[in-house]
Amino acid sequence: MKELVKSGGLTVDLASAFDASPNPYVLLTPDLRIAGANQAYFDVTNSTRDAIIGRPLFSAFDSGPGSEAPENVRQVQASLERARDTRQRDHLPLVKFSMAKRLDDGSQAFEDRYWSATHTPMLDEAGEVVFILQHTTDITELQRLREGRVLSERASALDIMLGGAVLGRAEQVQEDNRRLEGERNRLIDMFMQAPGFVAVLTGPDHVFQMHNAAYAQLIGHRDITGKPIREALPEVVGQGYYEFLDSVYATGEPHEGRASLVQLQRSPGALLETVYLNFIYQPIRDASGAVVGIFVQGHDVTDAVRSTERQKLMIDELNHRVKNTLATVQSIAMQTARSHADPLTFAEGFQARLLALSHTHDLLTRSHWEGADLGDILQHETEAHGSHRVSVNGPRVGLAPAAALSLGMIFHELATNAAKYGALSAPDGRVLVDWSLADQTRPRLQLVWREIGGPAVSQPVRKGFGSRLIERSVRHDLAGEVELHYAGDGFAATFSIPLDREQGS
Amino acid sequence: MSQAFAGRRVLIVEDESLVAMLLETILEDMGCIPVGPAATVDEGLQMASGGEPVDAALLDVNVAGRQVFPVAQALKDRGVPFIFSTGYGEGGLPDEWRGQPTLQKPFTEAAVRDALMKAMGLADV
Repeated sequence: MKELVKSGGLTVDLASAFDASPNPYVLLTPDLRIAGANQAYFDVTNSTRDAIIGRPLFSAFDSGPGSEAPENVRQVQASLERARDTRQRDHLPLVKFSMAKRLDDGSQAFEDRYWSATHTPMLDEAGEVVFILQHTTDITELQRLREGRVLSERASALDIMLGGAVLGRAEQVQEDNRRLEGERNRLIDMFMQAPGFVAVLTGPDHVFQMHNAAYAQLIGHRDITGKPIREALPEVVGQGYYEFLDSVYATGEPHEGRASLVQLQRSPGALLETVYLNFIYQPIRDASGAVVGIFVQGHDVTDAVRSTERQKLMIDELNHRVKNTLATVQSIAMQTARSHADPLTFAEGFQARLLALSHTHDLLTRSHWEGADLGDILQHETEAHGSHRVSVNGPRVGLAPAAALSLGMIFHELATNAAKYGALSAPDGRVLVDWSLADQTRPRLQLVWREIGGPAVSQPVRKGFGSRLIERSVRHDLAGEVELHYAGDGFAATFSIPLDREQGS
Repeated sequence: MSQAFAGRRVLIVEDESLVAMLLETILEDMGCIPVGPAATVDEGLQMASGGEPVDAALLDVNVAGRQVFPVAQALKDRGVPFIFSTGYGEGGLPDEWRGQPTLQKPFTEAAVRDALMKAMGLADV
């Protein structure tokens, strides 16, 4: 009681006045325990000082039977908490609260009573709530009058009408409040659990009033409530968003962003992370139409933006490869045409080269264009001439796609040449292909193509497309070396090709 | 056929040897002397900024996984006209190189000749 009545010489008088009041008063601590009560309160609740002081309000009394009891308790508690949390007086115009009553035979019964309650927060010098004073008025008689259950002789029609109307209004207001509170809670629940992010900013500095779980996740669960945006999300400076908010607040015009890039620090000390957001800033207006805050709503579309980017890259890459392949085919056609005056032999030569290219594509497709094995390529390009006539001998060598395509064409040209002029043009001629890997740290392929049992060959007067292509491919595409030997006992080619070179497309 | 190209030295930067061979053939038919071809950006840079005289250049945009723009810059600094050849067309060029003569792959002889004329400021005779 001392805290309540510290005002000089009046201390004793106030305390006894409090006790003497016919109105029931109870004083509660901020955690809603009973700190004190006056005599009228003990009387009306049929309790004693010793029985209830220090106990939580809602365990000190049995709220009685009936399905409405928990809701009535909740209403009283909610009003007390509002008074405490807002530091404003809170009124509960009408609440039903059953009171235990000891009957003459000593048994206990509950009596329905109607109350009107006022909850007043009492602040200390620092402005903190130290007590909440509950002032209750028993309006049971008024309520019964209204319900017409008791028609007292003294109650005039006017009394009934007035009392009934006032109470009716009070009840209605209370019912509205209860409904509104429920709706508000449901709306807040919806915001909090919405899959998109939601935040409410208040005032010209855009102070975070509330934000939902998705927003918290977006900004890395920082403590932002009550902070202006420039303090809450300092890394956003210079990205234009503060200015958008300022503009929405000043003009009342909403602002919408689509796949808008934002850089956010999503964990302490981390580098800025890029996210893409679809969002809208909408003004919140008060009753007079003035902008008082901004409603922020949106969702993270980073995954969608990234997959669109990936798709574009893949399409560009595909286009690049297709166009390059077409240019290659065009070159093959043009070069083949130069050495074949006869359209029939042109078609044959051109198709054979296209197929050679296509075979290597097939091999690469099997490995998802990661590479192909040298032995497999050799086999593919020479099997048309009879596998028993071409012996291949060497370790497995994985080739990058570009190297695989080049060697495919080279082996095709060698085999075609052998079939036309070399060992494979004679019934007993054979081709021996041997290879090895030299230098394990910077591997180099050493390969020898040797033709035996064929006609004698001599250096051609004019280089054909085949030998030009071989020499060019080895030097240009593979950064290697090649020597073509036109020896009397058969043609031979020796290759030395680095395998650790970065291969382009 | 124009004689304007006779003896002109044209650098080729192109990583696909078959495509490079095609360009060489086309250039030789036009009377030009092909220089290179360079298969990498580094090799192209060496040829573009070295002592070798070059009158014009045909540059593949994507050379062995790298972009050819350093070579283009070296040529620009020397005042040598050049043409980009690419599967992407002019839309595939970054803003600073937009407006350069561009050859779409695959290309015809006529397209190579026209692009070279435009780049070198020659009139068809």
